[in-house]
Amino acid sequence: MKLDSMLLCRKLAVGYSEDQPVLSDVDLEVRRGEIVALLGGSGSGKSTLLRTITGLQPPLAGGVSLLGENMYELDDEARRMLLRRTGMAFQQDALFGALTIQDNVALPLRELTKLPEPIICEMARMRLALVGLAGFERRVPAALSGGQRKRAALARASILDPEIIFCDEPSAGLDPVVAAELDDTLLRFRDVLGITIVIVSHELESIRALADRAIMFGHGKMLASGTLPELEQSNNEEVYHYFHARSA
Amino acid sequence: MSTVAAIDRPTRTATIAVMGDLAIPDAKGLYDCLKSISRRRDVRTIVLDLGKTERIDGAGMAVVSLAHRIAKRSRKQFEITNVDARHKKALELNAVAPTVHDHAETPPTRIEVLGTHVIEFYDGVLASMKLFADAFRQLGFVIVGKKKLPKGATSGFVITMGIDALPIVCMLSALLGATLAFQAIVLLKRFGAGQFVADMTGLAMVREFAPMMTAIVLTGRNGAAIAAELGTMRVRGELDALDAMGISSSRFLLLPRLLALTFVQPALTLIGIFVGIAGALIVARLSLDLPMSIFWARVVGRVDMMDFIHGLTKSFVFAQIIGFTGSYFGMRATADPSSVGNAATRTVVVGIFLIIVVDAIAATIGSLGGSA
Repeated sequence: MKLDSMLLCRKLAVGYSEDQPVLSDVDLEVRRGEIVALLGGSGSGKSTLLRTITGLQPPLAGGVSLLGENMYELDDEARRMLLRRTGMAFQQDALFGALTIQDNVALPLRELTKLPEPIICEMARMRLALVGLAGFERRVPAALSGGQRKRAALARASILDPEIIFCDEPSAGLDPVVAAELDDTLLRFRDVLGITIVIVSHELESIRALADRAIMFGHGKMLASGTLPELEQSNNEEVYHYFHARSA
Repeated sequence: MSTVAAIDRPTRTATIAVMGDLAIPDAKGLYDCLKSISRRRDVRTIVLDLGKTERIDGAGMAVVSLAHRIAKRSRKQFEITNVDARHKKALELNAVAPTVHDHAETPPTRIEVLGTHVIEFYDGVLASMKLFADAFRQLGFVIVGKKKLPKGATSGFVITMGIDALPIVCMLSALLGATLAFQAIVLLKRFGAGQFVADMTGLAMVREFAPMMTAIVLTGRNGAAIAAELGTMRVRGELDALDAMGISSSRFLLLPRLLALTFVQPALTLIGIFVGIAGALIVARLSLDLPMSIFWARVVGRVDMMDFIHGLTKSFVFAQIIGFTGSYFGMRATADPSSVGNAATRTVVVGIFLIIVVDAIAATIGSLGGSA
């Protein structure tokens, strides 16, 4: 039976010190096939929340249920197995500088599956072509532009066909054309491969193009949750200001 | 997943029906099946039947893509049948991926690889000479007062590169002097010339061992640190920031380190000489019962000012080698973090190599001049 709730956080508190949590009382749910954006100003705790959701930073309180498993109640091996069903595209691409782009993308396949090398190479090549990097297979990350590196990171995050992908600022620092291409790629991941996507972003254009729902954070808590039009007309002054700051 | 392969002999068609998911755990089975059928001479057409296939993931799509190529290579026709809308979407992703590498780079030939290495070597020599020239030009500006060094940088490096290295240099010098004395005593005693251990160890420490050993320790310690530090600055874009602000990285980064090393290296060598001789003295006292005053008198009588100048001049040159190799490799690091490790490794290898070459040249010149 396919699970509908891909991510569930209840009374979650995240941060680096129990005295001063970055975010607390976070209740959120992401359902299969959704694209959900986590919004908020700089320092609002979006990235810390993402680190906690992806198992990189233990929560201060509450629990995270990822793909139906309470992640922080699992032992290390079980948690690793769970995380193999997810993908993470980091803000600073996190590609291995000593490996070619193809080897970066193929790395999870080589380490975690017993697939023969021709299939691995073909999968990596196809995934790179899908993100618009056909012909760049033998380049090292240093020889690519920022946008190309982000797309390569996305190819690596998706190579195991995860059920859910987390993207931290995927289009930050990219020009509008490249950012739009990246948005198209993410939409294709959802529409064709059925991957659920959680995005942390500041880029309103991208969020408008991609997100089914958005959750806004500020002052250490969740401020609002809903569809983009709902948030844009929110009664909460801060939420309203976030969406209308430029036009004001 | 399970696959059922059936061969229709009249039409020479092999049909592979995929039942269940075609995903990572199952891809290898289908791939092996396709390869084995493609080798059969009684098959002209391979048909992949996806009518009973559930889910197709990236691995499944890759096998389908490979199947096209395997069939083409073995001169067989390839068809896919019973593709529903869901699978069609997934397979359409395949169409997004060009099967031919339109603008893929072809691997370089051996001649091209050799040519690349020659060009890289030439570029490297040119760049190191430019760095050398720029450093001396900037030193000239500093000396005439047109420009100044960053405040407190040189003295800071004297502490980290020199004073902090003192314990290891002293310990290794003492052990080296003692070991040298042990070896010399064994041989000299046979000829009843044990007291000459003072002459030998004194001369060896002043002319060769103290300068060389200090240089090797400082290459591993300070040269690698300079390379790693400058390499990290390159990765973080700090060197580009200096260039963008029009600040000479040679003056801002290289000169303080080079000046500190120029002062520290001869000073540590001098300390190493005395500590090494002290180590030999203790061994001679214990093994030969040679009075300390006699040992010291023999050292002073044998080692003259020219020997000190020889040793300290070498240590000055070694300081320049360490400073330049560390700075050169550090500054040539790329944005790739692994290049920082490479820069540190190259600094140590090239630095020690150049130090030994210079030492051999100095020994040859010394022996030709009759001072050895």
